[in-house]
Amino acid sequence: MNQLAREISRRAFLGRGGAGLGLVALNSLLHPRLAAAASAMDPQSKGVINPLHFTPKAKRVIYLYQAGGPSHLETFDYKPKLADMTGKPMPESFTRGQQIAQLQGQRLTCLGPTHGFKQVGQSGQMVCELFPHIGGIIDETCIVRSMWTEQINHDPAHTFMNSGSIITGRPSVGSWVLYGLGAETDNLPGYVVLVSAGRGGQMQPIAARQWSAGILPSKFQGVRFNSVGDPVHYITNPRGMTREMQGDSIQTINALNVLEDRSQHDPEIQTRIAQYEMAFKMQASVPGLLDTSHEPAHVLELYGAHPGDGSFASNCLLARRLAERGVRFIQVYHRDWDHHNDVKNNLIFKAEEVDRATAALITDLKQRGMLDDTLVIWGGEFGRTPMSQGGTGRDHHIKGFSFMLAGGGIKRGFAYGATDDLGYAAVENPVSVHDFHATMLHLLGVDAAKLAVKYQGLDVRLTGPEGGTVVRDIIA
Amino acid sequence: MNLFALRRQRCISVPMVRHVVHLLGCCLCTATTLAAAEPDRVSFNRDLRPIMSDTCFRCHGPDKNARKADMRLDIREEATRPTRSGRTPIVPGDPDKSEIVARIFATGARVMPPQAAHKQLTAKQKETIRQWVAEGALYEGHWAYQPLKRPAVPEIADASRVRNPIDHFIQERLSHEGFKPSERADKPTLLRRVTLDLTGLLPTSEELRAFLSDNAADAYEKVVDRLLASPRYAEQRTMHWLDAVRYADTSGFHGDNPIPAWPYRDYVLRSFLINKPFDAFTREQIAGDLLPNATLEQRVASAYNRLNRTSSEGGLQPKEYLAKYGADRVRTLSAVWLGSTLGCAECHDHKFDPFLTKDFYAMKAFFADIQETGLVPDRGSRAWGAKLDLPSEAQARQLAALDAQLAAARVRLDEGLVKLATVDEQWENQLRTRWQAGELAWTWQRPIAAHAVNGARLTIYDSEVVENNFYLDGSLKTERKPGDGLVVAGGPNPDRETYLVTLKPGAGTWNQLGIDVVQDESLPGARYARGADRFLLSEIEAELLEAGQPARTLSLVMATVNDAPPSVPSTTTDPSMPPLAAIDGNPHTAWGVRFGEARDPFLAVRFAEPVTTTADSQIVVTLRHESELRAAVIGRFRLALSADAYAWPPIASAGRRIRSKDPTGAKSWASGLPDDVMKALRRPAEDRDEPERTALRDYLIWSSPELAADYRELQRVEAERGLLDASVPRVVTTVAVDPAVTRILPRANWMDDSSPIVEPAVPRFLATLDTKGERPTRLDLANWLVARDNPLTARAYVNRTWREFFGSGVSRTLDDLGSQGEWPTHPELVDWLASELIHPEVDAASTHDWDMKHLVRLIVTSHTYAQTSMAEAISQEKDPDNRLLSHQNRFRVDAENVRDIALQLSGLLTDVFGGPSVSPVEPQGYLAALNFPKREYSASHGADQYRRGLYTTWQRTYLHPSLLNFDAPTREECTVSRSASNTPLQALDLLNDPIYVEAARAFAQNALAQGGKTFAAQLEWVFTRALNRPPRAEERSMLQGLYERNLKRFRAAPASARELLTIGDAPLPATANPAKVAAMATVTRAVLNLHELITRN
Repeated sequence: MNQLAREISRRAFLGRGGAGLGLVALNSLLHPRLAAAASAMDPQSKGVINPLHFTPKAKRVIYLYQAGGPSHLETFDYKPKLADMTGKPMPESFTRGQQIAQLQGQRLTCLGPTHGFKQVGQSGQMVCELFPHIGGIIDETCIVRSMWTEQINHDPAHTFMNSGSIITGRPSVGSWVLYGLGAETDNLPGYVVLVSAGRGGQMQPIAARQWSAGILPSKFQGVRFNSVGDPVHYITNPRGMTREMQGDSIQTINALNVLEDRSQHDPEIQTRIAQYEMAFKMQASVPGLLDTSHEPAHVLELYGAHPGDGSFASNCLLARRLAERGVRFIQVYHRDWDHHNDVKNNLIFKAEEVDRATAALITDLKQRGMLDDTLVIWGGEFGRTPMSQGGTGRDHHIKGFSFMLAGGGIKRGFAYGATDDLGYAAVENPVSVHDFHATMLHLLGVDAAKLAVKYQGLDVRLTGPEGGTVVRDIIA
Repeated sequence: MNLFALRRQRCISVPMVRHVVHLLGCCLCTATTLAAAEPDRVSFNRDLRPIMSDTCFRCHGPDKNARKADMRLDIREEATRPTRSGRTPIVPGDPDKSEIVARIFATGARVMPPQAAHKQLTAKQKETIRQWVAEGALYEGHWAYQPLKRPAVPEIADASRVRNPIDHFIQERLSHEGFKPSERADKPTLLRRVTLDLTGLLPTSEELRAFLSDNAADAYEKVVDRLLASPRYAEQRTMHWLDAVRYADTSGFHGDNPIPAWPYRDYVLRSFLINKPFDAFTREQIAGDLLPNATLEQRVASAYNRLNRTSSEGGLQPKEYLAKYGADRVRTLSAVWLGSTLGCAECHDHKFDPFLTKDFYAMKAFFADIQETGLVPDRGSRAWGAKLDLPSEAQARQLAALDAQLAAARVRLDEGLVKLATVDEQWENQLRTRWQAGELAWTWQRPIAAHAVNGARLTIYDSEVVENNFYLDGSLKTERKPGDGLVVAGGPNPDRETYLVTLKPGAGTWNQLGIDVVQDESLPGARYARGADRFLLSEIEAELLEAGQPARTLSLVMATVNDAPPSVPSTTTDPSMPPLAAIDGNPHTAWGVRFGEARDPFLAVRFAEPVTTTADSQIVVTLRHESELRAAVIGRFRLALSADAYAWPPIASAGRRIRSKDPTGAKSWASGLPDDVMKALRRPAEDRDEPERTALRDYLIWSSPELAADYRELQRVEAERGLLDASVPRVVTTVAVDPAVTRILPRANWMDDSSPIVEPAVPRFLATLDTKGERPTRLDLANWLVARDNPLTARAYVNRTWREFFGSGVSRTLDDLGSQGEWPTHPELVDWLASELIHPEVDAASTHDWDMKHLVRLIVTSHTYAQTSMAEAISQEKDPDNRLLSHQNRFRVDAENVRDIALQLSGLLTDVFGGPSVSPVEPQGYLAALNFPKREYSASHGADQYRRGLYTTWQRTYLHPSLLNFDAPTREECTVSRSASNTPLQALDLLNDPIYVEAARAFAQNALAQGGKTFAAQLEWVFTRALNRPPRAEERSMLQGLYERNLKRFRAAPASARELLTIGDAPLPATANPAKVAAMATVTRAVLNLHELITRN
């Protein structure tokens, strides 16, 4: 390389205080961020909302999304009276004039809880006995038993839960947060989605739309990390290219782009150069990050994770690793909660897949001092009917279901809201999807009413035109 | 405040500064300082409307439900009359008596807009409002809603840089603001720009040479004409149109299955190619089916109405989804043709424009005649509702011939049937006896060997325990038990695979061979195959091996699958994958199952002659999977033999083998009778119902040796017809039926039937259709859209077209020309271009009305378009967004073109116009989060790998990641303006996506072969093609360095070179020097990654 090229490449590649192929940056991201413990809450943000509207209580979100619609009646909503009603007609006073999905036009018969419940924790909450590990950390959580939503079919219900709108093209919750707050890392995407592999036949299709940036610039979209093949698309060098060769190529490309910049003065070129640098860093950081095999045995054991299996348990562990490295919003999908048939046996499988891992994540975050500033959300797009479908199953249900929240400024050991005696409708302190969104944003220091973007000439409020109310009672 | 709001704020406030503070006149200006006539007077449209629209109209505008204090400020008559409270909002000429002035200067609770609105007026904005009132509070209509009149072309003093009237509009404004137009770009830049813009591809080095050496005054115009005539032009324009009409190849909701739509895409291609007038183009899409004597082409065009997303999710409420589909149509139509946000009026009267909720539903009512269902089936013969068959002439002829053969075969079978004994007691008794004696049994085989030819690993489970995970009746069942002859494929998963399985059946005589395809949750391809969304068994072959004798091929003659009871004609779930295809000797046809989620298909094939085996005989069964669909290879199977030629293929429940229900319990074989026949046999003849009688009769026909030849012939013709029929193109289409009732849905609540029924109508403030008392139709709607007095359509179209050539519209809000949209920088230019589009001035004969190419030609032959993109310092400072177009803009090419360019340079690009969509390679597991069916992506082969991006299968919920990375829209909704991001994922894509690595390698091969002897010559060859310029000295030295370092590396590690060179399907010449090609490929790869390459300058 001649003198000029060297000079240019220094400027382009190392000129930001690094020492050789971004090694400093690499070091910093191969080791977990240690700053997590010192979580002095700072209202300054790296996003468009700066300063934040409120002092934040949470810095990041881990959203364990249970797609398909988990039965609240076999998880967190204990309904002894429904058990007494098993096999009897559902009183018409509950159901008249209401939307139902596959049970449309059928005789409605009650189906009591198919599993027992136990009183757990010092708070003495009732949790389904299939979930002993969650029962063990129940005092860290707040169960919201009065969620309700507006969409009764999976696809629109996911879209509504994830974007506050049923109109396709609206940004998803993760992209709101990334847009508003920015990321704490520039070596990894700020919004990461993990979709778990699992056993089960009714696996929900999850459209990439669920983590789309919609009308926001696409850099705010979620990036799905895959459990098979490349963890991020195209993150692996072409066969036959070593990291050194890749670095050499990127350095040359950037040097050529710098030359072009000298004649064109196009700010996009500077951005392009920076993006190639970040791509190179991601190539080093992502595969190692996703390799959980070096986690201590007791940690793997805690989660029940087997490195590389793509399971929900492994993804919960990955979520913690991502959170440590400054990823702002992490969504972990479990896709198999649509139990139109045989809810009893299906729930046994599902509990095996999520109970231990969910509890482990909360325990692990707490041990690392990260639970206080990490909001953990567990819930699906709707619940399931107290009426049976085909004798053993439950249909989609939007009038009442449960969410579990922990950390990030949430009040602990506490249940909020209630459904009626039969678990049909949220009757006490109902929480809408918009309320949930507003509360989540509030914990992050953002006023949902002020989170807007100009689109089609309008200030489009990202959380939807209706807006929600912050549920202050569940905030510590 | 966010970034967008900031920008908006600046647009508003700068004119105020200039106006109120009387600053430097024309020097201080930005994009939105419009052609200001009288700098000292406030203009409503320029100065007031943006403020009031943003801060007042939400509560004091068109939406009566949102209106506060009975005060309406968007209409002068309303704003100047006293309200109920007795105060007058605006007293023209007297700010002190005007309530609004008092309120905007108020403090505390009385201030307007109120604190809660989060909209504060700046001091300057308040002053502007006061002055406007003082000057008489004159309103002006919103520009886009005014009747379209052709404006006069402005005079300009210096016409030296003028090519056509566009330049007058642009330069008049420039000179008014103190700018000068830039000089014309140099010839290579200009050629590259116009070629990219019009075709999405780069000029070739021959085209560049020809243009450089053509010194004629109209050299450039000749280039433009050449490009406009090219099919590549049609492809490029089609790409943008498809975004707008949200064309895609899958349904978009839930299972997101493939929908037959591509013939519509080809209609659009042909329309741009022949330069169909935009009014006809509009009519055909919206109402092609309603045109008098509609042609096939016009009915294909009407597929436009069916391009909305549809759902096949079980349990959906049809009414809800019909509401969704209808609303989507209104949103799309309104954005594409009207440049309006009528969609906002679905729930409430529009807050800023005069669109009412009633207008929204009245527009929706135009589409109420479209035949459709809420749940749109995605499989079977009813899939996707109304479809059009589009056979070629040859196909139509062949189909007719096959239909005649089919009829003849049926007659023969019927004749044969007459001679045959009917179902009677004797036959039934015989059948029952034979069945009980096990004569109809299938004997499961435990293979003694099994191996795969292309690398997969086959494991035989006999007494070994194997885990089965299968999905049955709504839940997952897991069992572990001895395999009992199960063969499981594992290890490498090649695209095509052949299994050889050796059976040792023992002594006996066999008439049928059975293949039981076993489902398991571990298999991604619809639970059957190791990939794809189905399995496809191309051929089954069998050989008999006897000690000391040559292998004897066993001919197979008849194929029956257990997915339906026997019938005449025989039935198969999917005629495109008939059972007979597995023994027809043609590897291009195959038997397969795609959507068989909960059954185990079992295929029975009959030996032409009975096969007698001794204790030592072996039968080798070959299962070939040679389909084009990658990895559609069976994952688990068992083989069985039957002594009887007419044992029916057994129905096994998923994952488990169903044994005979023989009451003695002694036999353990699979049943050889159809369930329906068993059921009928158990019932006294006189009690049987019609289906049971039919089942018996059909089984009699199927199992009668006397009819076997005729039945086989019938099956053969049916299979042939099914395969041919499957190759006939189809497209969803619009069929008009009695219109469904359309009601206003309060707040879009589809369950609320309380509101009035509406008839089709266009927004009332724009027009009223006169249909002589008849219900207005889609054709009336289409005619109105392209009527001369429609103020919006041409303006919206012109504005959108402008963006393709300058990077942004004359108004940047392409989908909102309404009052919240950006005021165009050059409204007169929009109007002039719109007038010229509707009816060119020079053309009295109106033969070029709505001439889309004329519009494009005007734009690209203007000086404004041809200017250099280098900004003068003054422009950078005063007009950083270049809204005044004192120079051209630079922007990244669209996602499809990023790919097209790389393929073009590599020489790999397949130059085929139109046709079915193709599937370029995409990352493994990308579709893993989809279901119904469970599937894995199967990339196309050969030339189809290298088609233009436009032809990529548009999977809405998982668009090809490379397209998504470069901002191609998913087309779930109408998109008229793509964003242009610049992300690390793009860098990873260009660096590592196998298609770009392959392109770099092929480009390198060609550079070495054709670029000359020296590296310098080769690099020049590469640069001329890629960047249309020679390399600069520094560039050459950097790339030479890269080449030499990598050459050294590859020489030291030749295996790495070979690894790099075998990425992709394109062949590597045997003569190539691997280290050299690989090192050169790193150079071309660097070039393919340059910002300059994917930037249109």
